[in-house]
Amino acid sequence: MTSTDDRADQLHAAGLDGQNRTALGRMLGTGNVGHAEVGDDGIMRATIRIPEDELVFDPSIVVFPHGGEVELTLINDDKNTHCAVLPHNGDPKIIWLVNHSKGTARLSLGGPGTYWYGSTTGNDEGRGLTAALVFGGEVPDSAKIDRPPQPRP
Amino acid sequence: MTDYVDAGEAVAFRTLSNVKGQAPAIRNVDYERIQNARSEPENWMTYYGTYDGQRYSTLDQINKDTVKRLSPAWVFQAGSTGMHSGASTYSFEASPLVVDGVMFVSGPDGKVWAIDPTTGEELWRYKHASPFDTSLCCGNVNRGVAVGHGRVYLYTLNAHLIALDAQTGELIFDTVNGDVRAGESGSVAPLIVKDMVVVGSAGGEFGLRGHMDAFDAMTGERRWRCYTVPKPGEPGSETWGDEAGEAWQRGGANCWVTATYDPELELLFQGTGNPAPDFDGDVRPGDNLYTDSVVAVDVNTGTIQWHYQFTPHDLWDYDSTMENLLFEGPDGRKLLAHADKNGYFFVLDRTNGELVRVFPFVDRITWGEITPDGKVTPKVYPDEEGVPVHFWPGPAGGKEWTHMSYNPQTGLIYVPVQEVGATATRRRREFKESIPYWGAGVAVDLDDHYGFVAAIDPLTGEEKWRWNSEYPMCASTLTTAGGLVFQGTPTGEFVALDADTGEKLWSFQCGSGHHSSPSTFSVDGRQYVAVPTGWGGWVEGFLPGLLGASAGDALFCFALPQE
Repeated sequence: MTSTDDRADQLHAAGLDGQNRTALGRMLGTGNVGHAEVGDDGIMRATIRIPEDELVFDPSIVVFPHGGEVELTLINDDKNTHCAVLPHNGDPKIIWLVNHSKGTARLSLGGPGTYWYGSTTGNDEGRGLTAALVFGGEVPDSAKIDRPPQPRP
Repeated sequence: MTDYVDAGEAVAFRTLSNVKGQAPAIRNVDYERIQNARSEPENWMTYYGTYDGQRYSTLDQINKDTVKRLSPAWVFQAGSTGMHSGASTYSFEASPLVVDGVMFVSGPDGKVWAIDPTTGEELWRYKHASPFDTSLCCGNVNRGVAVGHGRVYLYTLNAHLIALDAQTGELIFDTVNGDVRAGESGSVAPLIVKDMVVVGSAGGEFGLRGHMDAFDAMTGERRWRCYTVPKPGEPGSETWGDEAGEAWQRGGANCWVTATYDPELELLFQGTGNPAPDFDGDVRPGDNLYTDSVVAVDVNTGTIQWHYQFTPHDLWDYDSTMENLLFEGPDGRKLLAHADKNGYFFVLDRTNGELVRVFPFVDRITWGEITPDGKVTPKVYPDEEGVPVHFWPGPAGGKEWTHMSYNPQTGLIYVPVQEVGATATRRRREFKESIPYWGAGVAVDLDDHYGFVAAIDPLTGEEKWRWNSEYPMCASTLTTAGGLVFQGTPTGEFVALDADTGEKLWSFQCGSGHHSSPSTFSVDGRQYVAVPTGWGGWVEGFLPGLLGASAGDALFCFALPQE
């Protein structure tokens, strides 16, 4: 069985965890995993950075305990300009992130489920600037089917 | 360094567009107005145009004589940004609604637009964020919205009923109604009846217990839920005969196509989906009610008043979700017409579900036989593990969900027909929530296929004419008092046929296949025909021979040139 460290080592050895190594860009989904913090006000917060010359959102997967209100702090530590187009109920939201900038995004998203977002300039998305917001939890009991609990994978 | 440039706060994407954010006010659409929708032919007010599902318009400016001059008035491109679910299976399946000079239409991936129907200008937009990993058997699709009570209602991919302000597109309520962890999803166009909004579940390939639901149109609170698979002890539960007593829990019978409705009877006529697992019947002995049926549901209570099962103990994935078209016989008898996946056309008395007539409407039927008195005899089906079995029609059926239409002038029903077979090989598997639960490997025929529009007299079963095509017909027909039948083809042509003869009178190449429901309306005396295009959905099921055809997501609107 492959452990987490093995996986990181494998990606590094294969040249998949950085820019312009084996592939042209960084393989999607190979970045770090982070977890949002739930504030006393119920808002789930996380900070996401774009490190210099890595073309990746870090963490590239942020896990939230359930759907709801989200506040992201987005920091561009890179020496190039990027952006983020983020999912949001009503319409996606966009923030433009010039070199060395910092901003926020307030989002409302249902859970459970996964949403991808990216920097929609040039081909940032293909080079590695595509990342995920992952919401856990269950739907309300009122939305569940009236039947005994079922086996899951 | 800590002195970052202030990037501010993320803003709505639409603020960086030419979207106005405001539509003209429309008059209130209430129950009474929808009941009389046919008296307002300038509008296409509800999913089928009218409650009866006839998809018929009395507009006749575009007619047999003028249709040759029909031209595009405008094109609306849906487009997408970023990664979304079903990126290779999305399809623009909706039926555009038009009310008092404003078009309301939904697209793939949770999108709703208000559009100026004379120019194609985008007035407002709303996009419900849909999880990338939602279970979708048949693509990222939505069949349309409901408009009423000053609101626009959408049932989302992740099974939320949302209400938007009809003038601004702002969210009014968002009610979670399905369990995405169980594999539930939403694709149906909601139906407004009285002060309620009615929707149904999707996800029959994931072993659900199907249901339809009615909500308070103003608050979003659920009024009733009608399960279409009975629990033990309920009427019909005796048709689920497995020893473990578990099959009903995953029985299927989902309700992913909009019901028709008779206001006098106060009955909804809902088609139900296949049983689960689709092809492995040994784990669910019995007829498996109310799968593959029409159920007549009391709109006030959500209780089933009668049912008719088209394919008892289905072993071929023969959903019966497609419309139940309501019409009157010459003697005034209240009838219901249904062209089933199984290749047979049924006419029922809609007051009690009594069979009036059944006859085949496709050329090739090998799965079994239904006699004129309704007796069903299965003949070819997957029953031995690992043994391939070929049958016609394939699992997408002689007709899938795309709708037929009825023209009172000709008395004919125009059916989009698919002639495609398939091979299923039974492969038993255990049930796990959210994992496809087919019980077989299935390959639909790649090259032996064709299709046609059939003009059928529902009073005799006679096929009056057919318009033949190299490809199956996978989009809804529309018929008008102009003596026309409109049909979109899988290869992109939008054609107008003579309703009396089937002669092709006009055609326009839209650039991508049709898998939607066109509608017609008029503004300031000018008639338009609107049709969403975009080849996608469950193509591997209904026409895998065109899996590689061009995708798209454009809404075309046609009219006669202005003088």
